[in-house]
Amino acid sequence: MKSIPRLIKRFVGVMLLSSVLLLILNVSLFVLYTREQMPNAHPWKMAEKVAKGLRRDASGYRLPDTLAGQLRQSNVWAVFLDNETMEVVWQTDNLPETVPMSYSASDIAGLTRRYIDGYPTFTGESEDGLAVLGYPKDSFWKHMWPSWDYRLISQLPKTGLSVLAVNAALIFLIYVIANSRLLKAVKPIAAGIQALPAREAVHIREAGLLSELAISINKTSDILQTQSRQLRKKEYARTNWIAGVSHDIRTPLSMVMGYAGQLKEDAGLSPAGRKKADVIVRQSQRMRDLINDLNLASKLEYNMQPLHRRNENLVAIVRQAAADFINMDIEARYPLEWNTSEDLTMCPVKADRDLLKRAVSNLIQNCMNHNQKGCTIFVCVAAESRTCTVSVEDDGIGVSDEQITRLSHSSHYMVCDENQGEQRHGLGLLIVRQIAAVHGGSVVMEKSPRGGFSVKLILPMRE
Amino acid sequence: MDFGYLKNKRLLLVDDEQEILNMVISILNEEGFFNLASAKNVREALALADSFRPELAILDVMLPDGDGFSLMEQLRQKAEYPVLFLTARGEDEDKFKGFGLGADDYIVKPFLPKELIFRIMAILRRSYKGENPLVKLAGSEIDFGRAEVIRQGEAIPLTAKEYDILTALYRNAERIVTIDSLCEAAWGENPFGYENSLMAHIRRIREKIEVNPSKPVSLVTVKGLGYRLITGGR
Repeated sequence: MKSIPRLIKRFVGVMLLSSVLLLILNVSLFVLYTREQMPNAHPWKMAEKVAKGLRRDASGYRLPDTLAGQLRQSNVWAVFLDNETMEVVWQTDNLPETVPMSYSASDIAGLTRRYIDGYPTFTGESEDGLAVLGYPKDSFWKHMWPSWDYRLISQLPKTGLSVLAVNAALIFLIYVIANSRLLKAVKPIAAGIQALPAREAVHIREAGLLSELAISINKTSDILQTQSRQLRKKEYARTNWIAGVSHDIRTPLSMVMGYAGQLKEDAGLSPAGRKKADVIVRQSQRMRDLINDLNLASKLEYNMQPLHRRNENLVAIVRQAAADFINMDIEARYPLEWNTSEDLTMCPVKADRDLLKRAVSNLIQNCMNHNQKGCTIFVCVAAESRTCTVSVEDDGIGVSDEQITRLSHSSHYMVCDENQGEQRHGLGLLIVRQIAAVHGGSVVMEKSPRGGFSVKLILPMRE
Repeated sequence: MDFGYLKNKRLLLVDDEQEILNMVISILNEEGFFNLASAKNVREALALADSFRPELAILDVMLPDGDGFSLMEQLRQKAEYPVLFLTARGEDEDKFKGFGLGADDYIVKPFLPKELIFRIMAILRRSYKGENPLVKLAGSEIDFGRAEVIRQGEAIPLTAKEYDILTALYRNAERIVTIDSLCEAAWGENPFGYENSLMAHIRRIREKIEVNPSKPVSLVTVKGLGYRLITGGR
């Protein structure tokens, strides 16, 4: 099935796209969230600024007003420890009482890494001493053990990429396992659905992920099979019915035709009486042809006409049909002109000889039927590179463009499923069409340049 | 040409419909066939065959106590003679079956009296040709028995191919026989590529049978289609 690889591609695409989108989403969410926070190293930098900003004058240390304002605003207290005395030599007004006023070296290390009485403390050093800033309780969480193996840092890009690759592989593995199960379940279903329009009987194992679908497809197949069996049965019944009727009509009709044929030749009968007998003969012949046509058309329509396709020479078949016609046309009201090139003696086709002869006879008969006053019939076989064309034309009354359109497009009553007024009658051309179709050929109807009607029967040449 | 001797042949008719039997008998009588016997089923037909000794049987396919195909086989076990089927079964399959079993012809009802007579005469001519080997033409006679043409009292022998071609033409006298059928008659099946040989043979036949071979009146060409033998009898 062609759509399976396409499905896999689509799945992989969706997976990759969703991974990338997730990454972008997370990064941007993180950025958005942290923008609202104070920057990471801010208190340290502030402490640095305060240490650098403190000026010593005669009355002691002084902090510039802007810095002092900033500290006040953030509700931060600050002290300055002198390098020599290790005591507080400057402090802000809001210094809590719990903050000690002198420090040992270990105190300094402690407050750098931890808190004083719950206040997160940050240090900034200057030449003379150390500025210590105390931020409000619970405003910062200090994490002061950042130390890594040197190799870890130096190999970070490589490690990161490997981890990413392992992640991707894992996701892909999960995907493959999950999807291959799905595909395994989908495959028979897809095959089943594809087999349905081909009218094959389908039975899928009704288990697994998509068992409900399988059950539905099996049911559909059963319904289709039953329907086509019933349809076939109906077609058989119809064809048999037509065959039966035509058989039963033949015996009484042969009596009508036989006696009328005798009367027609009866010297004891008046010329007028013989003429009447002749009409009966001709009409019963028409009836016989109609019965034969109806029978053949219904069999061809429902594929019940046995085909005996052999290697044949189309020229010989058409020649026989033409000769038979001339042999039958006793009064010579319909002269037949054989227009096939003398060089063309062989036109190989794989065909049912009798059916093809029937088609050509029908075309010749058709010229006769539509030109009661007589006409010349032109028969020609031509060979192109891959096709053979039999054309039967006449110089009779001809047809209008509308008639040709109607002949070519409206369906015959025998094969029409609608009750419309546009149905065609006359089985002759329908049979020609059907015979062309079973031989993989086609029929073209047009006005003849000779003034009458022209039909071309185009058949594929045998390889 | 006189076919009278053929009309004395004994014809056996088998059909379950009395009306059809009556009609066929009337058609045959009108044409001069009077040696007729009819049966309505297999049993009667087999009984008649022994006493009547038919020389041609005209059989229906569907009979009340059997079918015409097996009747033909049973009749032929007693004696060998031509069989013509006259039946309402128009299916090609039935025709093929009939011919396959050795029927000489197969006519589907309904039929014209002329058609029936033509086919019966054709079978009889084919089957009992030895009895009248002389065919009259405009300027000569063909003696099929001796494979000779007799022109102005002189006997000119026919070659084997010429004989085959003339036989095929004579069997369908007055009718067009296509080039392909003639080639098949002379050279067997799939006779492709013999058109020029056929033309040569036709030319030689004309030299034998025609008074003026360049203006043939007995063996005439139908352009592109084939040839027609015009016999002097009509």
